[in-house]
Amino acid sequence: MATSYAGYMGKVVELDLTTREVREYPWTDEDRRKYIGGKTMAAKVLDTMLTGREEAFSEENPLIISTGPLTGTGAPCSGRLSISALSPQTGIVASSNCGGTFGYFLKKAGLDALIIRGKCDQHTWIEIDNGRFEFHSADEDGLWGLKATPSQQRIKELLEQKWGAPRSFGQMVIGPAGENLVLYSGIISDERAAGRTGLGAVMGWKNLKGISVTGNHEITVANPEKAAEWNRKFFRALRTHPLTGRQLPRMGTAGLVSPMQMRGMLATRNFSAGRYDQFDKICGETLAEKHNIVNKGCVSCPIRCSRTVDLDGKPVKGPELETLGLLTANIENDDLELVIRLNNELDELGMDTISCAGTIAWAMEANEKGLWDNGLTFGKADELVGIIEDIAYRRGIGEELALGSKRLSKKYGGVDFAIQSKGLELSAYEPRRAVGMGLGYAVSNRGGCHLNGGYLVILEGLGLFTDPQTAHAKADATMMFQDLMEAIAASGQCLFSSYIFFPGILITRPNSALTTTINKAIPYIGGVLRLINKYPLAVQMHMPVLPHTRAFELITGMKMKMGDYMRAGERGYTLERQISTRFGVSAKDDTLPKRLTDVPQDPNDPKTKVPLDKMKRSYYNARGWTQDGRPKVSTLKKLKII
Amino acid sequence: MAHVNVIALGLFRLDTGLHELSLEANKGKDLYPQLLQKAHETKPDTTVTQADINGCIVLVNGKTARKGTKLADGDTVHLMSPVCGG
Ligand code: SF4
Repeated sequence: MATSYAGYMGKVVELDLTTREVREYPWTDEDRRKYIGGKTMAAKVLDTMLTGREEAFSEENPLIISTGPLTGTGAPCSGRLSISALSPQTGIVASSNCGGTFGYFLKKAGLDALIIRGKCDQHTWIEIDNGRFEFHSADEDGLWGLKATPSQQRIKELLEQKWGAPRSFGQMVIGPAGENLVLYSGIISDERAAGRTGLGAVMGWKNLKGISVTGNHEITVANPEKAAEWNRKFFRALRTHPLTGRQLPRMGTAGLVSPMQMRGMLATRNFSAGRYDQFDKICGETLAEKHNIVNKGCVSCPIRCSRTVDLDGKPVKGPELETLGLLTANIENDDLELVIRLNNELDELGMDTISCAGTIAWAMEANEKGLWDNGLTFGKADELVGIIEDIAYRRGIGEELALGSKRLSKKYGGVDFAIQSKGLELSAYEPRRAVGMGLGYAVSNRGGCHLNGGYLVILEGLGLFTDPQTAHAKADATMMFQDLMEAIAASGQCLFSSYIFFPGILITRPNSALTTTINKAIPYIGGVLRLINKYPLAVQMHMPVLPHTRAFELITGMKMKMGDYMRAGERGYTLERQISTRFGVSAKDDTLPKRLTDVPQDPNDPKTKVPLDKMKRSYYNARGWTQDGRPKVSTLKKLKII
Repeated sequence: MAHVNVIALGLFRLDTGLHELSLEANKGKDLYPQLLQKAHETKPDTTVTQADINGCIVLVNGKTARKGTKLADGDTVHLMSPVCGG
């Protein structure tokens, strides 16, 4: 189904693994205008395929790999794709974002998205070449059972043998965790991971070990000259911004450990505290001083936030903030080298570092409280290399740890300190010192995710410093950031590119009168944010602080002013929620464990807990959802979802 | 003059090589020239300027402070560059 828009390849393909049939999925320009691409496009496909009765491990659960129109076009930070499905971890619709080169090569193969249904009758890997699909045995080719890097090396060898000469291609694989259906296993592409929500297990259940993709289709741009000129400006804006041009390239996300410690937001001892007394041994500065070799990035990214660090004399990918926090302070481990080793091993085994670390922290506390005799103890991390391998291969206590903290706490008790929402473990931000982030974790469509939750910590102490304990304006700001990030992800760009939304001067002059005034004013502008959220289409212009929409128009030729962009984000977010309501999701699921809502972090300050019920009411109002957390019919109509 | 413990964090620490130091000051801003001097002693090729120090977030005993915040004996002052991530 060809398209009149540039940037898109004009073809979405449905692949049935059971019958090996490949057919084009009907996806029109009207769909493109409404749902852009990426995870939002996937939500629309899932909407047509999921009735609410399907299981994650079933042939009916489609795994959707979708690019955005900007993926691979040379726009800044445009090497991203989304992978979406019903999650085995949460039982609801989930999407995970990934860098690497796969998205670019999927488009070179002539495809915007790939919908994978059914199940292979044997362990398989698939080669896609210019839209041609070839199935190979993952057993005969010696792939099944391999870890992530050896799997990708093996695919490379096999393809080079076949081609007789090197050719560029993209690939994604699962590790042993996905093969063994660990509920929080991820998908690895190059060094990047679609880590969250257990989509690696969906691939594993489908007996699909990996996919390679290549092609020589041309990715077109509607207005190449103007787009190139605009992208140059966009690149420059990212390079000169203090966050995307200095802090992220220099320290990566690991640079957040120290400010989180200072703000009392560094999850410590299974989120029972927000500061870790040994933090200096494990912070981003120490990582940079002792281990960093070089920073790396995804395709077309000037930020290059990823770290290569030294491990046993070899360069390996360094830990991101979430892993760094959750495998140190949250389990009381001050051995930074061990964290690098664990991080590397988790990637190789193909497991979500956040959920794995969160589950281990819960298990340590359950052991300490006598609920489950599992031998795991806070402060004793040496044995974790063996434990995470046991999880991936489902041996010993690993068999149970593979289920995640929600299921385990239901079995053994300890629900109040199972730090998850909708079955997805929270990342390293302790929300009792950033209550807007607490709301985001609770209402996030895919469960306890900081990014899908709107990432309000950027206002509440990292970046700006708006009162982190007040509930005022947090619901409206959460909705706004969620919708913005939804649109950015749908376009195929990285969420980190959104940080240039914050004028550099507010960041470089944190103590100035202007910054202080803005920090103080934000809680009072909830009404203004609500109006913008309600009537985004009134904003029919490009905003200088967000070059994304102009880049979008110049690349695709599709009208996309700020209001259209925000509305598309809102549509995608609401549609995901609407599908999840078919699986029983309602306000009762938008929760946090009692430790975060009922127990103040500081016993002397009753404000240091998340006032969730109050913020939820306001959030549902802002979104046009019922107080039970379901999108109203009028909202679905307004968004043209029905 | 109050004796205070100053801890450098973030890019400020990487760019100056300063970690933890004991200084004397009445107010937050009294620390700045001393820090600049120490930075040049520790890392002669540092490019850090007074403006970079002004751009740091300052916390006194874990609470957000300003240049003019009065310091007391035994206070811990953290200086860090603003960050974000995800
Ligand atoms: S900012 Fe980081 S995650 Fe995002 S595209 Fe760049 S390198 Fe990849």
